Amino acid sequence: MRQRVIVLVVAVVVALGTAGVGPSRLGAQAGPLTVGAPGPMQLPVGQGINYGLQLAAGEINSAGGILGRKVTVVPEDEAETPEVGLAAMRKLLDSDKVDVLIGGQTSGVVLAQLPQIARAKTIYLGVGAAAPQITAQVQKEYERYKYIFRVSPVNSTYLGYGLADFVDEFVRPKLNVTKVAIIGENLVWVQGVLPAMERRLAEKQGISVVYKELFDIRTTDFSPIFAKIRAAGAQFVVPLMSHASSDVVVKAYASLKVPIPWGGIDVKGQEADSCDKLDGASVGETVLFGSPPIRVAITPRTIPFIDKYTERFKRPPVYTSFGAYDALYIYKAAAERAGTFDAEKVIPALEKTDYKGASGRVVFDEAHDVRYGPSYAFETMVQWQTGCKRALIWPARLATGGYVPLPWLR
Amino acid sequence: MADVLVLGAVNSAVYAMLALGFTLIFGVGRVVNLAHGTFYAIGVYVAYTLVAVTRLPLLAGAAAAVLAAAAVGIGLERLLIQPVRRWTFAVLIATVVFALLTQEIIYAFYGYTSRNIPSFTTQTLSILGVTVAGQRAITFAVAVLAIAVVWILIYRTRFGSAVLAVAQDREAAVYLGIDADGVSRTVMALSAGLAAAAGVLVAPVLVVSPQMWTLPLVKSFAIVILGGLGSIPGSLAASVLLAYTETAVSRFAGSAFSDLVPLVVILFTLLLRPSGLLGQTVEP
Repeated sequence: MRQRVIVLVVAVVVALGTAGVGPSRLGAQAGPLTVGAPGPMQLPVGQGINYGLQLAAGEINSAGGILGRKVTVVPEDEAETPEVGLAAMRKLLDSDKVDVLIGGQTSGVVLAQLPQIARAKTIYLGVGAAAPQITAQVQKEYERYKYIFRVSPVNSTYLGYGLADFVDEFVRPKLNVTKVAIIGENLVWVQGVLPAMERRLAEKQGISVVYKELFDIRTTDFSPIFAKIRAAGAQFVVPLMSHASSDVVVKAYASLKVPIPWGGIDVKGQEADSCDKLDGASVGETVLFGSPPIRVAITPRTIPFIDKYTERFKRPPVYTSFGAYDALYIYKAAAERAGTFDAEKVIPALEKTDYKGASGRVVFDEAHDVRYGPSYAFETMVQWQTGCKRALIWPARLATGGYVPLPWLR
Repeated sequence: MADVLVLGAVNSAVYAMLALGFTLIFGVGRVVNLAHGTFYAIGVYVAYTLVAVTRLPLLAGAAAAVLAAAAVGIGLERLLIQPVRRWTFAVLIATVVFALLTQEIIYAFYGYTSRNIPSFTTQTLSILGVTVAGQRAITFAVAVLAIAVVWILIYRTRFGSAVLAVAQDREAAVYLGIDADGVSRTVMALSAGLAAAAGVLVAPVLVVSPQMWTLPLVKSFAIVILGGLGSIPGSLAASVLLAYTETAVSRFAGSAFSDLVPLVVILFTLLLRPSGLLGQTVEP
């Protein structure tokens, strides 16, 4: 009898083991779903990833989690350098053993991390880096890089198109502009935006780029550049700036009272307190936003997200916050459609995503890149106005205010 | 062309202010102070703290920052440099460690995020038809004044004679009754104060960040190598030359190339004229 019981117990244990529901597997399934959040956590755009995920995770957990598992977020600082980014990714994948990755901000860092992510076969939803080369890898080597998706922002080619459309649809008729100057940081993402913008502008009749320059991000004196812009007869200046150079350029523009209206990509200029920090030097500058932190109902989820985020974190969301918040919900929906967390099964479900999130409509193309267009993800332009208040001025259908001239041109 | 003339002049004055302190320290104590840019950063962060955090008026905050940097300079000279003065490599290591330590302390207290200091003025000036930011014009005026004061101090006063005596032969100066260590400390305070003043004047148009000490160090280094280590007139001439070259390169070839100028200058001076423009060749 005793022998029979032992045999029975052994048989049950073996059966459970071979069925893949041994103690460790059961534990893994019952434990929390860990979301690795790599990003420059010392900067508002990195904190925005973490906060966006925390907000989404809190809501999802209150509603029962994803397929019954609670979500925990593991933020990891990747600074803005590839070396730190590689170490951060190694920690998330090898030590923390995260189930999914949502984050990324610096294109150079993300590009360096791609082989690590592919090797780990872990789904990565990018929410901050814009270089087209990131998702181009998916098209080039699908089997290896199919784990990579970009939820936001639209890639730099589309950023260039958005800027060109703004110049054509708003700047030209409103400010009577036909000559444009483009200045940008000599970095990977700008090298994508600039030719795309030029290409798109070339398609428009009557707008010419009379001056362009890529400057070193350590440039301290912009007076010669602005002198050249004026000499070229430019009537509108389009800056392409990340965190690296923004403050110096904005301060130089205001301190020299450059008599030319300007607007473009200024990642730091997207931050809610950036204008105040510069004593109002930003007033008059127009800044591109994929997801404007202004209470504009891009989708029914936009305003509730902005309100909840602002109330909880005492600051408005930045573009990565929108992306991270939406990305976790997109992953949740895909996992639930697939009925599993198995990346191989979740990926086809993710590819079928058509989600109206806080940032807008997210649909992936064949390169796993968020689609761009009026009915998909699109760009908006927001101007810093008197008193460091912000108004959305383009596209017209969403406008919350009109264009205000630079203070020294009034 | 007028813009190169005007904008180059402003940069020349700032560079001269930075390099003057660097060359004085080398002249008096044969100390290559790799923490020179750190005084620039200390000045800026003290000014930022006093002005942006404690709401002290800008001018008072700037003056206090210069004095604070001078005090740190005296401390550095007394505690780190003086004990190891006779070992050149030890001085290099001590000053670079001090620079890195200060950077980490700034990181710890102020974080990674860059900061901003308000401008002394928001006006602009038109000089020869070139628009110059008022802040840069003030920087130019203060820098020229500071350089003139230092020049008079060194070449027209008893203290200056002591400085020149120590620079010429430290041991002989001591035999003549000059307090060489005291002179070194005062010169370090002067050097640190000049660097901090340059930082406080330039910071309103730049970004305040923990790594901001490196760029002024590279510029100072290039200037004193070009001008001749320890030569005050050489440093002033080299400041003008470097600033105008950078401005012209930025204007005619593109700003992406202007940061190459100091490095190219260091390389070519070492290859073609190691003693610099006005430096003295010393037989080994």
